[in-house]
Amino acid sequence: MKYSISLLKEFYKTDKSIDEIADLITSLGSEVESIKDDTLETEVTPNRGDLLSHFGLARDLAAANLKKLDKPRLKLKEEGEKATNQVSVEIKSDLCPFYLARVIKGVKVGPSPAWMCEKLIACGAKPINNIVDVTNYVMLEFGQPLHAFDAGKIEGGQIFVREVEKNEEVVTLDDQPRELLPKMLVISDSKRPIAIAGVMGLKNSEVDDSTVDIVLEAAVFDRKSIRKTSKLLGLVTAASYRFERGVDDGGVEYALDRAAQLILEIAGGKVLQGAVKAGKASQQIEIGIEYEKINRLVGQNFSKEKVDKILQSLGCKIESGKAIVPSWRHDLEVWQDLVEEIARINGLEKIKPEPLKRSSKKPKASNFHKKEAIKDFLAGLGLDEVLNYSFLSQDDVVAAKIDAKNLVEVANPVQEENRYLRNSLIPGLLKSIARNPSFDDIEIFEIGNVFSAEGERTNLAIATSGKSTRKASAIVKEFCREFGILEDEFKIYEIDRDELERFKVKKPSVSVAEVDLSNALLKMKFKNLSLNVSERDIKYRPISKFPPVKRDLAFVVDRDVSALDIKNSILDVSPMVILAELFDEFSSDRFGVGKKNVAYHIWLESPSKTLSDSEADEQIKKIILKLEEKFGAKLRDS
Amino acid sequence: MKNGHLHPSTTFLRELIKIFEELGFEVYEGPEVDDEWHNFDALNVPDDHPARDEQDTFWLKDGRLLRTHTSNCQVRAVKDKGAPLHIVIPGRCFRNEATDQSHETTFYQLEGLYIDKNVTVANLFWVLEYTIKKLYGKNVEYRFRPHHYPFVEPGYDIDIKMGSSTERNSKEWMELVGSGMVHPKVLRNMGLDPEVWSGFAFGFGPDRMMMKKYKIQDIRQLFGNDLRFLRQF
Repeated sequence: MKYSISLLKEFYKTDKSIDEIADLITSLGSEVESIKDDTLETEVTPNRGDLLSHFGLARDLAAANLKKLDKPRLKLKEEGEKATNQVSVEIKSDLCPFYLARVIKGVKVGPSPAWMCEKLIACGAKPINNIVDVTNYVMLEFGQPLHAFDAGKIEGGQIFVREVEKNEEVVTLDDQPRELLPKMLVISDSKRPIAIAGVMGLKNSEVDDSTVDIVLEAAVFDRKSIRKTSKLLGLVTAASYRFERGVDDGGVEYALDRAAQLILEIAGGKVLQGAVKAGKASQQIEIGIEYEKINRLVGQNFSKEKVDKILQSLGCKIESGKAIVPSWRHDLEVWQDLVEEIARINGLEKIKPEPLKRSSKKPKASNFHKKEAIKDFLAGLGLDEVLNYSFLSQDDVVAAKIDAKNLVEVANPVQEENRYLRNSLIPGLLKSIARNPSFDDIEIFEIGNVFSAEGERTNLAIATSGKSTRKASAIVKEFCREFGILEDEFKIYEIDRDELERFKVKKPSVSVAEVDLSNALLKMKFKNLSLNVSERDIKYRPISKFPPVKRDLAFVVDRDVSALDIKNSILDVSPMVILAELFDEFSSDRFGVGKKNVAYHIWLESPSKTLSDSEADEQIKKIILKLEEKFGAKLRDS
Repeated sequence: MKNGHLHPSTTFLRELIKIFEELGFEVYEGPEVDDEWHNFDALNVPDDHPARDEQDTFWLKDGRLLRTHTSNCQVRAVKDKGAPLHIVIPGRCFRNEATDQSHETTFYQLEGLYIDKNVTVANLFWVLEYTIKKLYGKNVEYRFRPHHYPFVEPGYDIDIKMGSSTERNSKEWMELVGSGMVHPKVLRNMGLDPEVWSGFAFGFGPDRMMMKKYKIQDIRQLFGNDLRFLRQF
C-alpha cells in the first residue's frame, strides 16, 4: 500500500527519521518496498487489513513503543430534521451485517483544497471533486471505504441492501457497462441498483457538479462475497481490496462522522440529525492467553505483565486471563496468533537462537540419494545432465506421434506449451539436442517424473548423437553392469529420420534409452549413497542468443603443465570465449622429451551478433599468442 | 577422460541438502501431481486465498493439480512416517504463468519440516541462522521479519543482504527463505495433537539462490539446456 508520509506523521508523532520509520515498519511485518518524495510503499500481507490505513499503520508503530494510539476526538455539528425523515435503509441479505448512512444537504461540489489533493496523489488516488475526495481521504485515514450518493437520484428515498436476482446491465462510475450476476450484493433504491456493494458506485446516482444533497454510506460487507464479485467483474477497487481483507466493524460510525465533518469543512451544507442505521457490528472474540504455552513456543520468558502490556498496546482488552480482540484485528483467533504479536512487538532480534537437540541417528538414505548416485555415475561416463519442462505442447505431441488420449491434460494453461504433462522424457531430450546445433557430439540424460493415466513415475532417459559418441545401448550396458540390473528394463531405440525432422534435429542419427526408475530402483545395487558435493570455483559467463563459432586447437606443452591451467588461460583471453573443453591429452616422445599433446574445442561468440570468421580468427590468434607466452606452448598444425 | 556435467540446480540442491543432513534431517519426496486437499486445504490455505487463484495454479482436467510447493508433502510425510519427524522435501513445483527473464512455470523448492516436542521459534531461528552462515559465511548480514503464511503461526521471512552497497535501501535485501511454526490446524490435519507436538517449517528457493551465486540473469537458462550453459558447471 502507498502511504503519504506527511499524513502518517499526523497520527504517528515521532522524532525518528524516515529511514528509521521504514526499518520499524519492516521489522513489524510489512516490508517497505520504496520511499519516494511523500510516498512510502509497503507490502501488506493479506491477513492485515487493519494496516490499510494511515491510522492503522500508526497504531502498529505506536504499539512497538508499547503505546496504545487512540483516534482523535470528533465534533460533528448536526442540525435540522432527522436523517431518517429523508431516507430509509433496509438490509435484505446476510451478506451485509451493518449499514449506516448520513444525509448532508446543501453542499457545494467543487475541487478539493490543495493539501488534500497532494495527500491523495501521494497515495496513488486521483482527485475528483470535494465530496468523492473526502470519502477516499477518510478511507486512507481510517481504512473504512465510504460512498456518496446524490440524494436527489435515490428513487423513493429508500435504500435496500440486497442480492441480485437475475442478470442485469449497469454502468459503473468508471463509465463501463457491466453485467451483474445473481447473488452479487447491490445497494438499490426503490427501482434499481445504485451501487455494487463494496466495489463501486453506479453512474445513475453519481455525485456531480449539480449535486446539492448527498447520502453518505459506511457499511460492512461479507469479505468472501466482495472478493467473488470483484473477481467475477474483473474489478478491483480500493474499497473491494479493503473489504476483502476485513474492515474495522467498530470504526464504521467514526469514519462516517469524520467524513461528514470534513465535507462540512470543505463543501459546506448541513448534516441532518442522527445516522440511519440497519443491522449491527459483529461480536468481538476472546482468546485465552496461555502465558506458559506462549513462552514455550517462542523459547523465551515473557512476564505476564509484559504479555499483557503488549496486547493492550495493540488494542486488546485483558479480562481474567483472556484477550478481547479489537474489532480491527480479524487475524487473531487462537493463542498461537498472539505469539506472533508478542514476538514481533517485543523485537525478533531479542529471540536468542537455541540449538536443536541433535539426534544420534544418522539420516537414512532414500530414493533421492539413489537418483543422485545415478547422476554421478552417468556424468562420470561423460554425459551431461539436462532438465526439461514437465510439459508437452500440442506440437510436441504431434512430433512424437503420441496419442493425446493417454496424456494427463492441463485444464487452464496460460501458455500453449503447457497443455499436456509429459509421459516420457524422450521428447524433451530431442528438443535439447535440437537446441544445440553447434555441438557435434552430444550425450545427455535426464531424471524426472512422467505422468499418464496409470499415475506418476520417475524415469531416466539417455540420448546420444554425433560421430564420436557411443550409442545409448553402450551406455545402458555399462549402467546395468554398475547397478546390477538387466538391460531389458530399458527401452532402447534409434529415432527415425522423420521424427528427427519433426523435432528439428539437424543430426543424422539419435539413439535413446528410457527406463522406469520407480521400478528399477528397487532392484538396483548401490555402493555408496552419500551425497557427493564438490566445491568448485566456477565463474559463469552469460551465453549469447547468437550462435557460437567452434574451433579446435592442439598444442605441444611440457608434461607438467596442467590442462586446467591452459583451459583457464584460454577463457581469460576474452569474454568472447564461452567454453573451452579439453578433448585430447597424451604424452609421447615424438613431441620431444617430457612433452605432451593437449587439444581443445573452443566456442567463441558475441553478445550482440553472429561472429564472422575473421573476428573468430582474431580471438584464436590471441589465444595462441597467450599460450605461447605463458606456457611455451607450440601450436600443432592440424 | 571427458567428464560430463551435472545441472547446476542438481549441484546446488545437493549442497543445501548436505547441510540439513548434518543436522539430522532426512530427505523425503512426494508427488508432483496432487489433490487440492494436500496442496491447499490441509495446509490451512483458505478457499479465497490469492494463492488458490485460478491463474496461479495448473489445474488438471481430472480436477487434480500440479503442486505449487513441496509443502504438499507435509501432511503426507507425517501420516507416512509418524512423529517425531525431521525432514527436508526437495522437488519440482509449478506456477501457471507466462515465462520471462524472471518468471518460470517450473521451479525447485526445498522445504524443511521439523516436528517434535517443545520445538520453539528460537530453534527455528537457530537452524536458519546455521544454514545461512554455512552458505554465505559467518559475516553474512541477515534479518528475520514477520510474514504471513497460512500454514504457519507465527510466520517469518529471512532476508540476507546482497552486494557491498552501504546505501540505505530496502532493495539490497534479498528474501531467502519463508518459515514459521506449524499452524495448529495443520498439526491436527497431520493427526497430531497440538498440545503435545509442535514444529517448524521453512522453504528455500534454490533456483534463485543458485542464480545469485553464479550471477545468472535469465531464469529460463535453467530449462534451456544450452550446452554452452550446462558445460560451464
